[in-house]
Amino acid sequence: MRSLVGASIVITVLGTAWVTVGAPARAADLEAGKRKAEPCAACHGADGNATVPGTPSLAGQHVYFTHWQLIKYRDGRRKDPQMSPFAQNLSDADMADLAAYYATQRLRPRPAITDPAKVAEGKRLANLHHCASCHRPDLSGQQQVPRLAGQDYDYLLRLLSGFKAKTVSDLDGTMTMAAQPLREEEIVALVHYMASVGTQP
Amino acid sequence: MRRMTLTSLTVAFTVASLLAALAWAQQAAPPTWKQGQPPSMADSTLAPIPQPPAPKAASEIPVDKIRVPPGFKAELWASGINNARAMTWGDNGTLVVSSRVAGNVYAIVDKGGQREVKVIASGLNLPNGVAFRDGTLYVAEISKISKMPGIEDKLDSPPAMEVVYDTLPKDLPHGWKYLAFGPDGKLYFNIGAPCNICMPPDTHANLSRVNPDGTGFEYVARGVRNSVGFDWHPVTKQLYFATHARDWLGDNEPSDKFDVVTRKGQHFGFPFCHQGDILDPEFGKGHSCKEFVPPLIKTGPHVAGNGVEFYTGSMFPPEYKNRAFLAQRGSWNRSEKIGFRVMMVTLRPGAAPKYEVFAQGWLEGQEIWGRPVYTKQMKDGSLLIADDYAGAIYRVSYQR
Repeated sequence: MRSLVGASIVITVLGTAWVTVGAPARAADLEAGKRKAEPCAACHGADGNATVPGTPSLAGQHVYFTHWQLIKYRDGRRKDPQMSPFAQNLSDADMADLAAYYATQRLRPRPAITDPAKVAEGKRLANLHHCASCHRPDLSGQQQVPRLAGQDYDYLLRLLSGFKAKTVSDLDGTMTMAAQPLREEEIVALVHYMASVGTQP
Repeated sequence: MRRMTLTSLTVAFTVASLLAALAWAQQAAPPTWKQGQPPSMADSTLAPIPQPPAPKAASEIPVDKIRVPPGFKAELWASGINNARAMTWGDNGTLVVSSRVAGNVYAIVDKGGQREVKVIASGLNLPNGVAFRDGTLYVAEISKISKMPGIEDKLDSPPAMEVVYDTLPKDLPHGWKYLAFGPDGKLYFNIGAPCNICMPPDTHANLSRVNPDGTGFEYVARGVRNSVGFDWHPVTKQLYFATHARDWLGDNEPSDKFDVVTRKGQHFGFPFCHQGDILDPEFGKGHSCKEFVPPLIKTGPHVAGNGVEFYTGSMFPPEYKNRAFLAQRGSWNRSEKIGFRVMMVTLRPGAAPKYEVFAQGWLEGQEIWGRPVYTKQMKDGSLLIADDYAGAIYRVSYQR
């Protein structure tokens, strides 16, 4: 048996009027999100701009992306020794608030030393592998697809290598499939390119 | 000697070219949803509709917008069920609901007008298929079928899932399954094509079945791109199924299909022939559509026909008996959206089936607020409709 979500939701009907007890979903609360993000700040930065190499910045990430990743950390499909424990006790509302808070924060691109030759090769590979068809031409991402522009070099390298190794779970298999034909040096070139892109918000 | 050398050189060169071509083809593979897009459509902005990570709150669900025939009424039956998909009834009245990307299986217990939603399994791999038999719940994920015996007595402490059958393909594209018990007591499911359009391996693009103990696997229908909804006619016991057609051949073709299996092993056309009369521009070469079973109904281009269910209840007017409800989750690969409705099919001996709208209203102009994906008849003859986009279940009833 995989992890169980303890929360159950009781929905009551009174005549034709519906009363929802313990509302399962409601509009995200930015203020609550800011407060709930306090325990995350040590690694991800108070405003979602991380400085620790290997830790992703969450500022400017799309609501659907952050929310889905938190769900996957909570139910164990995505695992990380540091992140998984934090996600265990998050409610659906916590996730919605956190995702909404980080989406409204302004991203400061992570500093990266990139090799122009690798950046050029990475750009060619990104084109060849249709990265822009989901991540958009400026790698700003959309909906459930993460922003890559301005993200941390070490994190991008770890994730893309993990997709290739099938040790990172993605929502519908698209990234795992996309990473399979990549050679190690191609992954490095792609990450050089991604890390070089994007000072735009 | 010289000739031999040349020959081996030629072979070596050919092999090298083939490998290079293969490597190139692999490297150039776009994401599945974009695969098969012709260069003329390269600038298209069409893309699959993203699944929201959270269900809509009951107060955000405009159930009044659902339009049903005169005398029928649609109401919100349950909400807050993230990504609610297929439904199956337990012997003691528990409704088990599957999901896809949410990875959950839910149990809904109706306690005197109070409906309680519990998550009985989570973190699963696209667990779209759920089926009940003799107190045991069967769950189909991408590459395996598992069971939870006696689950209805243990909803608050669900038992471990026991693997029934786990040698199914691991491909994620079209790898999620619909699961149902046939009249023969076997578990039926789909193994979809692992692509938008491709020559599928012999193991894919079919409907299959296996005994509930995991023995006796066999193919039932071939050439089925992806069918995630099927049911058996209450009288003839024949298997009827919906199929999603390929994308990127334009707004109006090919049509999705509603098909019937009349003989085990029949071929329904994929990837050679679409909608019974269009040869695939690439894979149709050298074939004729006459080689394959034609569809019973062309259900419409890109409508995304999911749920199929024959009506056997007595609440609806008598003419509804044995009609099939087809839930259509709605299009993405079309300039103007289509689908997002529940259709109904009346089979007529010696005449073309009647195909008409039963429930609609989730699509307003080009905006959607929900996606009807599966139906499930209730004991009293009313009809539940699951909406995976809003994470809700509606109930349609009829009053004379």
